[in-house]
Amino acid sequence: MVKPLKAKRISKAFDSEQVLDDLSLELHEHESLSILGRSGCGKTTLLKILAGLESSDQGTLWMGDKNVGSLSSNQRDIVYLYQEALLFPHLNVFENIAFGLRLRRLDEDAVTFRTNKMINQLELNGMQNKMPHQLSGGQQQRVSFGRALITNPKVILLDEPFGSLDADTRSAMQKLFKRVADEINITAIFVTHNVKEAILMGDRIAKLDNGKLTIFDSIEALVKSGESSIHEEINFWRTISDKH
Amino acid sequence: MTSISKPKSYIAEVLAATFLFPVAYLVVLSLATQWIFPHAFPKALTLNRWISLFTSSTDLFSSLMLSLGTALSVATIATLAGFYTSKHLAYHPQRNIWMRLSYFPFVLSPVIYAAVLYYFFIQLGLSGNISGVIIAQLLIAYPYSVILFSGFWSQRIHNIEQLVQTLGGNRWQTYKRVLLPMAQGLLLVCFFQTFLISWFEYGLTTIIGVGQVQTLTLKVFQYINEANFYNAALSSSLLVLPPIILLYFNKKYLFQKRW
Repeated sequence: MVKPLKAKRISKAFDSEQVLDDLSLELHEHESLSILGRSGCGKTTLLKILAGLESSDQGTLWMGDKNVGSLSSNQRDIVYLYQEALLFPHLNVFENIAFGLRLRRLDEDAVTFRTNKMINQLELNGMQNKMPHQLSGGQQQRVSFGRALITNPKVILLDEPFGSLDADTRSAMQKLFKRVADEINITAIFVTHNVKEAILMGDRIAKLDNGKLTIFDSIEALVKSGESSIHEEINFWRTISDKH
Repeated sequence: MTSISKPKSYIAEVLAATFLFPVAYLVVLSLATQWIFPHAFPKALTLNRWISLFTSSTDLFSSLMLSLGTALSVATIATLAGFYTSKHLAYHPQRNIWMRLSYFPFVLSPVIYAAVLYYFFIQLGLSGNISGVIIAQLLIAYPYSVILFSGFWSQRIHNIEQLVQTLGGNRWQTYKRVLLPMAQGLLLVCFFQTFLISWFEYGLTTIIGVGQVQTLTLKVFQYINEANFYNAALSSSLLVLPPIILLYFNKKYLFQKRW
């Protein structure tokens, strides 16, 4: 079966530091792959290579049956989302979300219909005319998702998108993203260093360590792998449970 | 609150009057038929000098048009080129060296700078013509623009650019829809400042233009040297008018707080 994204034997080094080492991955249609990894392990580099924002030293990248390694980032149909919402400060919520449609020169009726639908899905009703500085962190992140999702990209890459949010907002955003992702069947790679978030957001979980990517087919496989952060998490909740 | 704001407002009005009075007096002097010292004001006024400026082909009108053309060209080229160049310098591995070099034209005075470069202008056939004067003024205005825009570029702006690309935007769309609107306020400030640099420039214009490119600023000096104070007042009035008009129409962009 043709995969929406397939990376083969990707390597990348910065000076003498090998960040990605002969890494391969395949994404299935409409799945979210969570990639776990500590800070500085190369998660962002991997996503940027997939998005075409960074070049790899070696390896190939396929979308379906097309080699996209030589395509520029604006031709790949892969949207890369940063931890920061990065809304355009001169555009209101409606225009921020509609941005990708304007780039594609869709007619005004289609832009209005699709943007309002997205605003509704993201529970941003009544905020169409607000400017980014008038929104909370969570609202800004929702607008950022809307802006990425509205063009139906083949793949979305999320680089710790909830990292800057407080615990409650983070939890609400995780649920909202999961619901919207299911509704519109997106294919995504979700990078995080939070093991709970990785489990919650991903259909499959992978771990990036020392430039190597290990993909686990189930949570049990991840637990059995001896991943330290998940054992720390389990032990923490056991301790809490024993105390009560 | 009212008792505090009233003296502040009074001081502001006095200051404004102090600055505006010489300008207003210049206009009065440009309208004078005859003014004899020690009278404070002329005995009679006439519009003849202003009317003849716009109805017959005079040197002064040519100088006004020449100055406008030169300043608009310099401001437009310096602003756009400075914006583009500053972006590439900001992300260049040798950024610090390039930025230091952009300060170089300001180390020398414009007159010395022009004298140093004069040989090259002669060799390139740029001495004594308008193109040469525009290029000479750009040697000051362009690095000024690069320095002004250098603060705009940051990692955040770089990330926004990359985001626009992954959303499907090409380079032109990134500039048109995101970077230029985001820098709109700074672009206007830069245009205004570089316009003023060119508009009031004397040293470079005198040396590179070798007296053949008679801008309005040069005309003012010429009339003052000739003790022709009616024409000096008229040309000075013309010299201060465009910046005031430009400031008036752009004040909402220049002074308003943006996002």
